[in-house]
Amino acid sequence: MLYNVLIVERNRLYLEKMAAVIQSLPGFELAARFQEPLEALGQGKVFKPNLILLDIDMDDASSLVKDFTEEFPKASIVCTGEKWQGDSASHFVKAGARGYLIKPFTANEFKSAIESFAKSGMESASQVLTFFSPKGKSGKTTLVASLALALARTTGEQVGVIDADLQFCDMGLFFNLDPASTIVEAVRDINFLSPISLASYFCEVEPNLRVLCGTRNPSLIDRVDIPSFEALIKMSRSLFRYVLIDVPSGFCPTSIAAAEMSDTTYLMTMLSGTYELQHLSRAREMFQDWEDIDERLKVVITRVSPCSEKERQRLSNDLGYSVEAIIPNEYKLVSEAANAGRIALDVGGASLFSLAVGRLAESISLHHHWEAP
Amino acid sequence: MIEDKISGVVITFFSTASAVGKTLISINMAAELARQGYRVCLADFDLQFGDVANYLQMQGSTTVYNAGQRLAENSDYPLEELASVCTYNDVSFGVLAAPEELSQAYNFTADTAERIVNRLRMHYDYVIIDTTSMFSVLNLTLLDLSTIITFLGVVDFIPTIKNMKIGNETLQSLNYDANKIRLVLNRSDSATQLSIREVEEKTLGSSFYHVLSNDFHAANESVQTGIPLVLRKNNNQLTKDLRQLVALYTNHTYQEDADFDEPTRKSGGWFSKLFS
Repeated sequence: MLYNVLIVERNRLYLEKMAAVIQSLPGFELAARFQEPLEALGQGKVFKPNLILLDIDMDDASSLVKDFTEEFPKASIVCTGEKWQGDSASHFVKAGARGYLIKPFTANEFKSAIESFAKSGMESASQVLTFFSPKGKSGKTTLVASLALALARTTGEQVGVIDADLQFCDMGLFFNLDPASTIVEAVRDINFLSPISLASYFCEVEPNLRVLCGTRNPSLIDRVDIPSFEALIKMSRSLFRYVLIDVPSGFCPTSIAAAEMSDTTYLMTMLSGTYELQHLSRAREMFQDWEDIDERLKVVITRVSPCSEKERQRLSNDLGYSVEAIIPNEYKLVSEAANAGRIALDVGGASLFSLAVGRLAESISLHHHWEAP
Repeated sequence: MIEDKISGVVITFFSTASAVGKTLISINMAAELARQGYRVCLADFDLQFGDVANYLQMQGSTTVYNAGQRLAENSDYPLEELASVCTYNDVSFGVLAAPEELSQAYNFTADTAERIVNRLRMHYDYVIIDTTSMFSVLNLTLLDLSTIITFLGVVDFIPTIKNMKIGNETLQSLNYDANKIRLVLNRSDSATQLSIREVEEKTLGSSFYHVLSNDFHAANESVQTGIPLVLRKNNNQLTKDLRQLVALYTNHTYQEDADFDEPTRKSGGWFSKLFS
């Protein structure tokens, strides 16, 4: 993995030192250097950097970080400062930075810092969303695929999907992908990867939407070990603004690990007129230990008819807890789309389904307004 | 002593997709075999969210977890004395439900399941097993133990077909005898644009052993009332198809005009006849 580095540094002396460090290191190439942040923002793109060292010893640093993350969504931004600014560091990270380095630094310090940022990342502003269902046939994969697409399009931010339904993973089929690598290889290699190299294990669906497909064969189930899977989720945080994880149904080490690593877990079931709501409530009880259960666990019910606000409230009242979203019964639309290797969101125009998915995307991304295709 | 050597038939219902009707069909298989006079036990190994007790409206039944505990204390414990009994119209069969608590389900081992099934088959002529839709260690153990695996499928949409193909190939790779695995198609005339023949030819490489009609209304009513379809009077197509499937398994000819109200009950089943 080659790092193509862009340096933004007001101090001429530091700029020269850093450039020398980069040029001395195998695996790193100096893409460009700027003393003026605005120049870098305007001209930097032509050098296609994937790593940016950004001087934050200035007043407007936080907004600068934000500008750079927006202008260079595919690059990792590492802030450089003369001294550790504990308070501001988390602001920078929230604005999109991957790490923080103290100037000046030696080649070895720089290399190990980049490796450590790459592997563990710093806390970041990304949102990891896990989609969990007690039993199969919940409409989970259909929702994840469409929601990922809606999030990618409305926010314009990087969205990643991890198909961790290790046995019968359908995400590749839903997106009509023929993956060169899957979650099995990603988890196997995770300790040698950086976020930038991890990206190549994902299949690109749209410029800002990537999918890590599941295993091709159910006998491979044993090859995904949990600590590595957790490391994969952690590292994916630094690649994507939103990470959506499809997990096997029921409680298993994989689904539990994903839920624990997530900011939000969507507990899902499909109405079929039997005992699915009892199963839903029973599954929900297992999450009662979470102190912040109301924020972290959200309930989504699919195949709801009529799919109205009144019905959502009725279900919430009956269940005794809030139902975050309901998805209408559009079996024909959903199955026709899957049969054709298309995403349900893209079929049938402004269907009730796409409206419901769009509303959920809005509630996740807060500011962005969904417009039906 | 000779009783110890008796080994009842174990029929496991398996699939690679959820909501294909495993539970409903296994309940009806158990009920129909019992109606014919066999000693039958239905065990729910869909441990976390099993629906056997729900569909029979026998919530609070003895569970496989209870059975496992008893066997841990005494490996010869007669589970037939522990199992709950489902009775309707003079027909009864044993039921071991899924565990009450999710923690009991989560920590349930394949070894325990094996001990339970092996103990059950010493008493019952037929042990019917409901499972989850995945190749877990538990399910592989149950599949190994089984006399017959009923691999249930629906021709639904492409992802389901893909998983049915993968499941079928995985089952083939386990090197079971060809006639141990029976491909059964459920809900054959449900709303789908996919051709069943095409699925048979291109995906499975063999034809379905049996086909069950789609009758959502009858199936749903059975779930709502808790009464197995084969124990009720209305003889719809699905009920006939279910009886036919059982007839295929027992090598009996299914007679349309079988006297339904007076089950042809043999006391104690054919084992007792053989060994009494």
